[in-house]
Amino acid sequence: MSNEAKIQEILKRRGLDVSDVTDFADEVVPEPSPRFTKLINIYYMMKNTIDMEYPYWYNRVWWENDGDITEIRRAKAEAAALSHMTPTILPGELLFGNKTRNFRGAFCFPWVDASFFNAAAEAMMAGVDAPPMAAADAVSVVGAGGGNVTKDFGNVVSIAQKFGLRREEVPCLVKVAKYWDNGSVERVSARLAEARPDYQKWAGYRNSVLVMFDSWAIPQGREVINYYVPLEYGFDKIIELCDEKIAETLGEAGDDGILGMSRGYYYMACKTIAQGVSKWIENYARRAEYLAAHETDEVQKKEYLDIAAVAHHIAHKQPETFRQALNLTLMCHYGVVNEDPHSGQSIGRLGQILYPWYEKDIADGTTTDEEVIELLELYRIKITAIECFASSGVTGGVLSGNTFNNLSLGGLGYDGLTAVNPLEYLIVEAGMRGKSTQPTLSLLYDEKTPESFLLKVAQCIKLGLGYPAIMNNQGGMNYMLRHYQPEGMTIYDARAWAPGGCLESSPGCFQPLHYNGKTYMIPGGAGPTAGTGIHFTGMPKLLELVLSNGFDRRTGIQVFEPHNRKLDTYEGLLDVYYNVYLQELLEVSNRMNNLQMDTHRKICPTVWASLLKADCFANGQNQSHLGARYNGTINFESCGTINLINSLASIKKNVYDDKKYTLEEMKDAMWNNFGFKTAFETGVFSPDRREATELAPKYEKIFNDCVNAPKYGNADDYVDSILVDYEDRMLPKMLALRSYMGKQYYMCQISVSTHGPQGAITLASADGRLCGTTYADASMSPAPTTDKNGIYALFTSATCYDHAMCQNSQMNVKIHPSAIKGTQGTHKLLDVYRAYMRKGGFHIQFNVTSSKTLREAQAKPDDYRDLMVRVAGFTQYWCEIGKPIQDEVIFRTEYDS
Amino acid sequence: MPQDTTGMIFDIQSYSVHDGPGCRTNVFFVGCPLQCRWCANPESWAVKKHLLFAERSCKWDQGCTACRDACPNGSLKFNDQGKPCVDWAICNKCETIECSEVCAAHALKQCVRFLTVDDLMKVLMRDFPNWGSNGGVTFSGGEPLLHHEFLDQVLQRCRKEQMHTAIETSGFASPEVFKKIFRNLNFAFIDVKNMDEEMHKWGTGVSNKPILNNIATLAHADWWRGRLVLRQPTIHGYNDSTENAKRLIEFMNENGLFEINLLRFHRMGGTKWEQLGKVYEYNDHGDMPEERMLALQELYLDNDIACYIGEDTPF
Repeated sequence: MSNEAKIQEILKRRGLDVSDVTDFADEVVPEPSPRFTKLINIYYMMKNTIDMEYPYWYNRVWWENDGDITEIRRAKAEAAALSHMTPTILPGELLFGNKTRNFRGAFCFPWVDASFFNAAAEAMMAGVDAPPMAAADAVSVVGAGGGNVTKDFGNVVSIAQKFGLRREEVPCLVKVAKYWDNGSVERVSARLAEARPDYQKWAGYRNSVLVMFDSWAIPQGREVINYYVPLEYGFDKIIELCDEKIAETLGEAGDDGILGMSRGYYYMACKTIAQGVSKWIENYARRAEYLAAHETDEVQKKEYLDIAAVAHHIAHKQPETFRQALNLTLMCHYGVVNEDPHSGQSIGRLGQILYPWYEKDIADGTTTDEEVIELLELYRIKITAIECFASSGVTGGVLSGNTFNNLSLGGLGYDGLTAVNPLEYLIVEAGMRGKSTQPTLSLLYDEKTPESFLLKVAQCIKLGLGYPAIMNNQGGMNYMLRHYQPEGMTIYDARAWAPGGCLESSPGCFQPLHYNGKTYMIPGGAGPTAGTGIHFTGMPKLLELVLSNGFDRRTGIQVFEPHNRKLDTYEGLLDVYYNVYLQELLEVSNRMNNLQMDTHRKICPTVWASLLKADCFANGQNQSHLGARYNGTINFESCGTINLINSLASIKKNVYDDKKYTLEEMKDAMWNNFGFKTAFETGVFSPDRREATELAPKYEKIFNDCVNAPKYGNADDYVDSILVDYEDRMLPKMLALRSYMGKQYYMCQISVSTHGPQGAITLASADGRLCGTTYADASMSPAPTTDKNGIYALFTSATCYDHAMCQNSQMNVKIHPSAIKGTQGTHKLLDVYRAYMRKGGFHIQFNVTSSKTLREAQAKPDDYRDLMVRVAGFTQYWCEIGKPIQDEVIFRTEYDS
Repeated sequence: MPQDTTGMIFDIQSYSVHDGPGCRTNVFFVGCPLQCRWCANPESWAVKKHLLFAERSCKWDQGCTACRDACPNGSLKFNDQGKPCVDWAICNKCETIECSEVCAAHALKQCVRFLTVDDLMKVLMRDFPNWGSNGGVTFSGGEPLLHHEFLDQVLQRCRKEQMHTAIETSGFASPEVFKKIFRNLNFAFIDVKNMDEEMHKWGTGVSNKPILNNIATLAHADWWRGRLVLRQPTIHGYNDSTENAKRLIEFMNENGLFEINLLRFHRMGGTKWEQLGKVYEYNDHGDMPEERMLALQELYLDNDIACYIGEDTPF
């Protein structure tokens, strides 16, 4: 008998009830399936590869159809590209499909952005220097390990510091890119932007990296996909329905003189793309049959034939097994992420979507939970391998190489009851066994969520994989009802929300799926991209510019016109910040974003995504024409909230309230970095390095006062009230802006990895943060080491305002593994995340790892190829993250006991 | 000196997960009547404000000299490289601790805060919603019973708010004080460091008699409504003998006690001794061999006593 069992017995005999404790020690997580291990090891060895199959076919067919109606022309180009890609199937795979012919591949989209390649064409042809970098790229540091190709090697050219392209494909890239030299989204929208009188202002924001990047860089994503139409109908039926709709609408305007005629074109495009995707899936069937014919191993031969059977079926009909349904959603997903540069194309609530098939297969005895877990493990590799090609600053720096295909769990169903089902337990289990960065998992925490599921989630978090993140279901629903009320958001649709991308709350809806003689209400996305608006803006940098009269001391650019105000009151300072500079930035950036995104929808209307997204097919309108149910999805992404709030608190305290220093003295200290070396000089981007220069003694008093000024995260009203004021001032500004959809904006408060590069461009700030050091991550995490009163005080500060005012908020917490050891530790982890949810926190996620381990991994990356950390709304391999972000993660406050 | 309604506290730790059931807030009082040779919190001994010098946070090696004139008594001195060193003979007499005010790195820290009952209740009320259904507040130290006037008032307030309360104590107090405090507690850890009176005196400076008496009283008291878990910091060569364990088992069985938590000796407090300018005698011995810990656990279990090692507890 084990000691634990003896203890149980003694306690029971002594009359102490410990029945809820079955085991003190953590349960051992079973090994992943041998297939998973084999395939993930292949993944680890693979380099990020771009190839030209897709761009070549897209371009060729696009060119052949010159003069066609754009959305039909684009459907033809996409369909041709998909159906001409080489289908790759590896031995041992059960799920088929890839984004490209490569296991870990992507490709470029010159129709979106070609200047990068054209500028470098000659150099690439000659095999010399890499293309020059844009301002934002230059301050973004890409991780050098793992699959990243940061330098040329052998016959491989490094592109965007991340991808490798075979040298023999360079001429094809150059030729395809040349075609778009004048007509890409980037070029066309730039010409329009330059026609605006305030274009130079925009150029100033971008060149100073105050605003991080352009909308066309990743025009789609940060949204939730909708698999309903293919799962309900199958491709043959979709094509039939298109024919019916074409007969009904082509040539008919109805009552709509502007867009009525587009319906017919929309259905023609839908038919073409449905045929293309169907053919693409068929190609996998043919490939599998070919492989089977040449396979001598009987077991492998059968596996190929099984794949062929699945592919043949789902290329035409509604799926009939769980495996078919899962594989169909996977192919639909690849189809969408191949339409545009994509990140954050969220899977949504997969366990709720696929439950009908799981339920039937289990009831029929045709599959087992173990088989389902194996498929879900393999699915993880497929999603992990999805890469996105954009510029280095965007893919490597901002996104840390992750593509944020987020899978949600929990929440409520159409009936308002918990949506957790047995399949969702298996999804978590597969994530525990099959450790991999994607899909990241998000629990939509609701008080109705079963306790056992909450504990299962806590068990998974404890493995240190960074997932699941915890999101507030009621908070998300409140946000939906609040923000989408003008578009008629209902309580039923609000229940279908899910995070798109890392945590861009996206609207959804339930649709009736008919299968196995029953009707299931399955959730899915109901709005286009919920993230492509005004991009990451360094809020502390903007404060620096207010203090410097609009002049960027780092680059020498006069970013804003001098305000020439004295700033002799705190209110006066806020007035310039919010009502002059920020207001201008929002208005100008919104116009530029609108021009970029409108150009995008005119040149590259989404075709496949517009077939899938809820209501487009019913309305007969593309997403570009507001075909989806909800369209007020465009956001303003802020970065560095907490450094802004802490800086305002320090200035308020030291300059205006206590009058210890004049504003001039404060500025002098900031411009001189308080007498310390900058992060660039020390090479350390987190605040634990403060190397003094000879100026240090001069500024030590003011530095000390800045460091000791009230800080967010300590339940201190002095500073928390500044955060409340900030949120209160931002909301009406958002509601006053109008996106290219003609709808209001909202705040998106996540940093992704932009707190690295935007910290890099910001001089010392009044909160005592030194020049170049990374901002506090997320929007609710405290600046490292400034939270002195523990995590509960932090929770109190974080929930000082209503999080449902915004699309999201973000809290990253690092917990030492010893604090939550054992089954009691699992309960205590649940206690802590539940506490934050009950207070109204929108999101919390955990790194269960010690700083010691991370330091070792930074020193010896090769020994830690599979180490994963939570960065912002996503998990990434440690070795593929840039050093500034690595430093930041190491230096986050670690909660132990 | 503090009023009755003022507590001297050197730390309040939230999300404390190994000091009682569930998630807790742990309030560490300053001052201890015992002076254990292996103590992990030596900064909590003195009942007065004092300095803690966290050398590892000090930025002297990065050129910081902010504290060069910070001590009006001349206790801060600097070696050839510029590294600050505290002259503890001078520093221990200081109750103003001005030097901590100039240190942006928080390497020079003042150890003690004075909180009123209201101040402390404000913190506890703030943390209350975070504890979950079985968590609460733990009073620890130092020795919380030293501050019984203050603690009594706090505990009455906690009881009124229906907070779960726990204590970590040496149990070294008069029977009156002991009863006053324990009648309002839900959970207690009481240390039994050694069953041998002489050994107890050698290790802690005091007799174990009042402690064992208090425990025995509690075990039979009708005013005690809580759960009692004995604790022992288990130190190789000091109290890990079979003989000592057997005597404790006998004592527990006599009093109907059946839970004990053995805490492996650790050296994490060692740097604090240095920070306080004291010599730490347990620098190189006292470590518990793993098999010895398990043997002790077996011994307790075989005698019908639930014995938990370290953090592996059923609460």
